[in-house]
This record gives sequence, structure tokens and C-alpha cells, in this order.
Amino acid sequence: MMTAALRLTGIDMHYGYVRALTGIDFHVQPGEVVGLLGDNGAGKSTLLKIMSGAHRPSGGTVEVHGRKVELHEPSDAARAGVQMVYQDLALVDAQDIATNLNIGREILRRGPLGWLGFVDHKAMRRRSEAELDRLGVRTAPMTRPVEMLSGGQRQVVALARSAIRVAGAGQGVLLLDEPTAALGYEQTKQVEALIRRMAAEGVAIVLVTHNLPLCHEVADRVVILNRGVKVADVRLDETENDHIVGWITGARPSQFVTRQEIS
Amino acid sequence: MTAAVPATEAAVPAGRDMPRAVTLLVFARDRGIFILWGAIILAFSFWCAPYFATLDNAMLVANAAAITAIFAAGVGIGVMTGVLDLSLPGTAAFAACVVGWLMTHGQPTWLSLTVGLLAGAVVGLVNGLIALRGFNPIIVTIGTLSALSGLAAVIAGGYTFPGLRSLQFMGTDRYVGVPAPVYIVAVLFLAGFLFLTRTRDGIRLMAVGGNAEAARRSGIHSERYRVLGFVISGLCAALGGLVSTAVTTEATPEASPGIIFNALTAVALAGVALTGGRGSLPRVLVGALILATIANGLTIRGVQPYWATVLTGVLLLGSLGLERVIQRSVSNRLMATANLSVHSGKA
Repeated sequence: MMTAALRLTGIDMHYGYVRALTGIDFHVQPGEVVGLLGDNGAGKSTLLKIMSGAHRPSGGTVEVHGRKVELHEPSDAARAGVQMVYQDLALVDAQDIATNLNIGREILRRGPLGWLGFVDHKAMRRRSEAELDRLGVRTAPMTRPVEMLSGGQRQVVALARSAIRVAGAGQGVLLLDEPTAALGYEQTKQVEALIRRMAAEGVAIVLVTHNLPLCHEVADRVVILNRGVKVADVRLDETENDHIVGWITGARPSQFVTRQEIS
Repeated sequence: MTAAVPATEAAVPAGRDMPRAVTLLVFARDRGIFILWGAIILAFSFWCAPYFATLDNAMLVANAAAITAIFAAGVGIGVMTGVLDLSLPGTAAFAACVVGWLMTHGQPTWLSLTVGLLAGAVVGLVNGLIALRGFNPIIVTIGTLSALSGLAAVIAGGYTFPGLRSLQFMGTDRYVGVPAPVYIVAVLFLAGFLFLTRTRDGIRLMAVGGNAEAARRSGIHSERYRVLGFVISGLCAALGGLVSTAVTTEATPEASPGIIFNALTAVALAGVALTGGRGSLPRVLVGALILATIANGLTIRGVQPYWATVLTGVLLLGSLGLERVIQRSVSNRLMATANLSVHSGKA
């Protein structure tokens, strides 16, 4: 079996007396899209925050490509090749697409101007165009400010920014939080296509969503949480929608024997 | 169920078909101030003929705009970084008095000037480090404004440092007929413009001003850049204080709040959004020049000087209104085209 791009084992998370997560095992393979489902308060966001390094788990281990890592903050996760795309996108509106894609990884000019910190705008634009082409997204011209893009184009830029960064780290992991929540039908289709294309490039993708149709379109497998416990981990082609809804609402018993039942 | 991966289809409309009207509106928003300045010059050229449109008068205007422009550069870069530094007059007075004290105590001019500029940078650093602790930068810099003008008075012992004639080389001296402060402004704005648009740190500075969270997620320490904004602002303030001192050959501890309001007017006229991340230095320079041009033209016509202030205020309010109209019009048109591309299936 292939080494998982991201593997979480026995993750516990307590906030004071509140148990947000109990003994969660989770993994995603390179090139796989895993939907992380659950009702509000089921622990999806907490788990996602642990994966992205925003929270440290009370117990359990996180492995990236088989290597155990300690994620103290999001930049640790980013260094390990795990990138989070937040719902609020966080793009610099006044700057153009190329700047947004290149910030933090600028190309300096060669020679004395480079020593002074002058950037090579042309080279960065070319690189970004090549990267977007590889992802199969041709958005607006590179020099268009983000504030003049449509919602779908912004989402694509935000996804591409993260995708480019994980692609740089070999086969990375992309964490998506409701990537289509603010989008119309057509734009949703475009983002779905982009997600599949990134997976085809070997990126491992974790998708947190309430949107079951989106999951059916793009995910290979779903992991379902209910009140902080994993209740299902199934391939989408081996289950049906009613079962998924049942696990989410708690109407259907867990696939696993939970700790509570043992005790 | 796995969706098939469409290999060639573009995921987003190419969108190269930006409507002409939008391009024009954006041009008006970004370059409008240059046109406005041109119009003002043209109007005064006729109204104040033959005294306005002369080379000598152009030098007068440029020189009059110089000090406002230097402070406006400080305020402008600060605002673009997302910090409003109100301590500028205090920093200027403090730096001037440091230089005055050093020079009257027998230190060489170059050393005094260097220390004066450094003092400005240090003030910026302190401002920045305090503001980083989560205090409101406006209140913090009001505090340092007060503290610094007091300190300047302490250094000056309650008086001023008059007769600093060795500073004339950067004050009243002319080179090839152009006053020294004009050269200083030219160099400052060129350097600032190149820094903000062409260098890694400048671009990051603008990005942090525009959306600190976005910059942070791109692995940038946005706090450092915010402090850098304060430092640059402090440096500009110190430079402004030194040039003022050089022009009058007197270092005074008086921190005139008029400085900051003139600078802010120029910056606001230039359309630099106070929310940060937006704006350009050449426009700020033109903003300062417009203020000086109006004052100069009205003086030539013998109009009482306070009408210049009235006109500036009206202009500022007018430019705000215009920007609002343009912004709304642009977003309406963009919305229309976004819907268009979806419904016509041009994806």
C-alpha cells in the first residue's frame, strides 16, 4: 500500500472538559479526494485546524508522507507541504493575480538590481502562467487586479495559490473548507473540475463541506464525523446517499465500535 | 463517484474581454489626478496670465510643494501599509532639534544629518513596536507626537537653534536654477516608487497593507512589514523636519499639526484609501503639487489665501464623490459581464 500523503492516528482534542474529537484516525492518499462530512459541531473544523497546524491535538500523531510531524503553527504545515484554503480566500484585492500568486516566493532579478531586492515581474508572470496552464485554469490576464475578478475567478486564484505551493513541495496536501459555498452553479462546476485536475496531478485533497452533491462530484471517499467521533469511512462507490445522510445525522449506527461502547 | 477530468476545457472564462467602459473608468480612477492637475494648470495659465505659466513660477510652486510632499510621502507609505502615523510633526521637530543640538555642539553637518534621520527611524521603530502590541496606531502615534514635541523642547531648552547656515546646501541653495528641496523630493519619490512597485519588500509592504491575513498565509511575517511602514514613515518625517530646518536655517521644537493635515490632504486627494494597500506615490506627489499650485495661482490673482484652503477642501470632497461613483460604476459593469459570460456559455 502507498504511503499516505497525510495520516492522522488516534487524534484527541479537548477544550477544557469538552471533548471535541476522540480517537480519530484519518488518512488521504496522493491523488485522492476525501470528503470530510458531518453536522455542525461534529468536529470537522477542529480536525481541519489540526491538519493545518492552527490547533495542536491533545493526543495522537500526525504524519506527512510517512514522516511524523509536529505542527505548531500553519507555517509548519505549509513547510511540510500541507496547505489550507480558507473560506474567506484572503487575497490582496488591490494587487493583480500574478502578485497574489507570487507573494512570499518572488523571483529576484539577476545582477546588482537583484541584490537590492528588485523583482523580475516578467519571469514571475511567466511562471504563474505556466503553473496555471498546468492546472488547466486560464483566468483573467495576470495583470488584472483581484478586485476586478468574479467570485469564481477569485476562488480559482485562491485554490491555484495553494495548489502551486503544495506542488512545489512534491506531492502535497490541500485542505479545502467549503470551496464552493459562495459560488453559482457554473462557477461551482469550474472549481469541481479544478479539484479533480489537481488530484490527477497527484495532490492529496481533503474537502470539508456540507454540500453532498459536491462530494459526489469530486470525492473518492468520505469520512463522516458525528459528535467528535468517526462514524464512517467509505468509498463513495460502495455506499449510497441515504447511508451518508444517516451517518451525518446519527440515525445510522457507526461503522466502528466506539470507545464509549467499550467502556 | 468520480467526475471525469476534462483535459482541455478551461475552468474559468478567459475574461480578456474587459469592457471598454471599465478600462476607461479605471483609467479615470488611477490617472484622474494627473488630468485634474493639468486642468488646474491650464485654467490658471489663462486666468493668471502672464505671471503663472513661467519657469520661475514653476520653480516656486515646486519648492512650495516640496516640504508637504516629503511629509505626504511618509503619510502615504504609512497609509498604504495600513498604519496612520500622526506623530509626523513630533518626529520632524524632534529630528530637527537633534540635528540643531549636534550642530551647535560642534558636530560635522553630515554626522548631524545622519543622526537626525536615524532618530526618525528609531521613532518609527518604537511606534511600530508599540502598535504591534495591539494598540490602536492612531492613539499610539498621538501619544508619541505629544512625547516627541516635549522631548524636542527639552533638547532645545525651550528655545530654538537659529543660524544653522551650513544646512543651506539642502535648503535655499539652487542647482542649475532648481531649489535643493525639489531634488530631494525627486529622489525620495523616485526611490519610494521603485521600492513599492519593483522590489520584493515594497510589494510585500503593499500586500500587508491590503490584506495582512493574505500575506500571513503566504508565509510572510506581516508584523515586520507593518513595523517597516512605521520606520519609513518616521524617516520621511525626519527628512521633512530637516529640510524645513534647512530652509529656515532654524531648528524649532514646535510640532505644527498643520503639517499632518496638509500631508493627509495631499494623500487623500491622491486617492490613497485609508484602509490601506492601495495608492501610488506619483499620485501623492501630484496631490502635494495641486495644493501648492492652487495656493500659488490664487496668490497671483490677489485672492485672499484662505480661499485656497476652501478650494482644496471642496476639491477633496469632490474627488471622494467621484471615486465613489467610479467604483460603483465599475463594479456594476463587471457584475454585468460576469453574468454575461455565464449565460452565454463562453467558458
